[in-house]
Amino acid sequence: MSYYFAILGTNDSPLYELEIGTYKQSGDGKPNFPIEIKELQQFIVNASLDILQDQQFKINQIFFKNLDAFYGYQVYSYLTQGNIKFIISTNVKNQDESIRQFFIEVNELYVKNLLSPFYNVNDPIRSVGFDSRVCLLAKKYL
Amino acid sequence: MSKIASGYDPAVGPRTTGTTTVIRPRSSIYDRNLHRARHDISVSSLSFLFMEMVSMNLNQAKSLIELERKLNNLGYSIGTKVLELASLRENFNNNLTSSGKSNVSKREIKVLDILHFITSVIWPSLFEKPADNLEKSSESNCQYMIIDNAPVLMKYISVPKEYEGLNCEAFVAGIVEGILDSTFFKCEVSAHTVPVEGHLGRTVYLINFDEELIARETQ
Amino acid sequence: MSKQIKQLGDDVWKTKVEKVNSELFTLTYGSIVAQLCRDFNNNYEEVNAQTYKMGYNIGVRLIDEFLQKTQLSRCSSFRDTAEIVSKVGFKMFLNIVPNITNWTSDMTTFSLILTENPLADFVELPDDGKAVKELWYSNILCGVLRGALEMVQLDCEVGFISDVLRGDETTELRVRLVQVLKDEIPAGEE
Repeated sequence: MSYYFAILGTNDSPLYELEIGTYKQSGDGKPNFPIEIKELQQFIVNASLDILQDQQFKINQIFFKNLDAFYGYQVYSYLTQGNIKFIISTNVKNQDESIRQFFIEVNELYVKNLLSPFYNVNDPIRSVGFDSRVCLLAKKYL
Repeated sequence: MSKIASGYDPAVGPRTTGTTTVIRPRSSIYDRNLHRARHDISVSSLSFLFMEMVSMNLNQAKSLIELERKLNNLGYSIGTKVLELASLRENFNNNLTSSGKSNVSKREIKVLDILHFITSVIWPSLFEKPADNLEKSSESNCQYMIIDNAPVLMKYISVPKEYEGLNCEAFVAGIVEGILDSTFFKCEVSAHTVPVEGHLGRTVYLINFDEELIARETQ
Repeated sequence: MSKQIKQLGDDVWKTKVEKVNSELFTLTYGSIVAQLCRDFNNNYEEVNAQTYKMGYNIGVRLIDEFLQKTQLSRCSSFRDTAEIVSKVGFKMFLNIVPNITNWTSDMTTFSLILTENPLADFVELPDDGKAVKELWYSNILCGVLRGALEMVQLDCEVGFISDVLRGDETTELRVRLVQVLKDEIPAGEE
């Protein structure tokens, strides 16, 4: 029961990736993807972007649950006003609310990172502080 | 355990980003509160900084047009950041927090909506007042204008005669352009001083949207 | 005397200063520093020199506004100068009051400890290993102080000792009085 989390920039390039296992039900946080799925995650996420692109100018919401599905993996997406996409692909069921909360908190982390003058939109996120805090959030919500 | 953030380069494949040093600041920026009470400073500090920035770029630029372009670029990166910050704060004010139940999350997807967002949310957050007017050009379907009767940055600046064609508000035009570009409303923004009775510094920010954008709107 | 100076600073801030949110200021300065780093190819020594120069140009003009708003006359001692810089100068322009510490025994050098720094809000230095050792992000402040003090006949050396952006405990500025200038024309380095 694992999550694949990615932040994609305005041009759909990956800025940050994280694989994490669920901490709920005494999970230990270790991701547990079967090898085939592990290799495909990036493609799954990319495929769902097409759907997102279709919808983004018709619907004005931020959180898209059930954006796409792939053999038991559901794709959730959160789209900011500045067109940064947070995507989660997971096989854990019924986690809509936790994922929504996780996205909201990551949004705040992202904005703090963005405010630094040395970070520009669409740069890969390399900050160690960012990474450790995202992991903490994952532990809290996922 | 989780993977450290990896930048993805399709030519190379996934790789970890090693950091060369592990100096960790004692208080990280991530601990600071984005929604805390604001800190005020004096307008003259902002003016002095702005003037010096124009002055420094003036010495390096070979023409006024190049100077305006440099100011536009400086403003552009600010625009991209200000947009996300203002948007996050709006959501927070609408109770879209992780603990709140609200699902009132909105993105602006129409031209008029995003322009309203700029004039009534972003302008006050930067300049302490909303923009004075928002107009659609009667000449072209793709042109809109934001009007500020008394731009804060220009309050204490007067442009000497030899630089008469220069408009330092190219900086603010850059901010607007950065905002609109990152929301996928592609455009070009320029600043023009159009004085009227009572407002000598009145500035019009002319926004020229791409034609395909307007087409997308009407779909 | 210190209490009166603090009172003056608070009064000027309350009544004579037009205020604005510091965010645009922070973002503008950030944009400037980032552009300098790009223009000089991350030669941080050069970036420090540029921001210092910018500060100097600001300082020599800022002093006029300072004198006009505070109506202060000449300080009787360098100690008074320090108090006024911290409680009135920093207060009326940046709305912060740095602490004054570490006086040398001959009273010519002191430190300013900045507990908050509006220039550096939400700034994280680049992770290239060089920035944390070489870049003084807020170096513009040193230039401002040098320029302003020079205009009141005080030739001072001003520089950063530590910066929280670099991972240090505090942000500390050191101000050293080199000489009191006799003429109107400032002597010393250009």
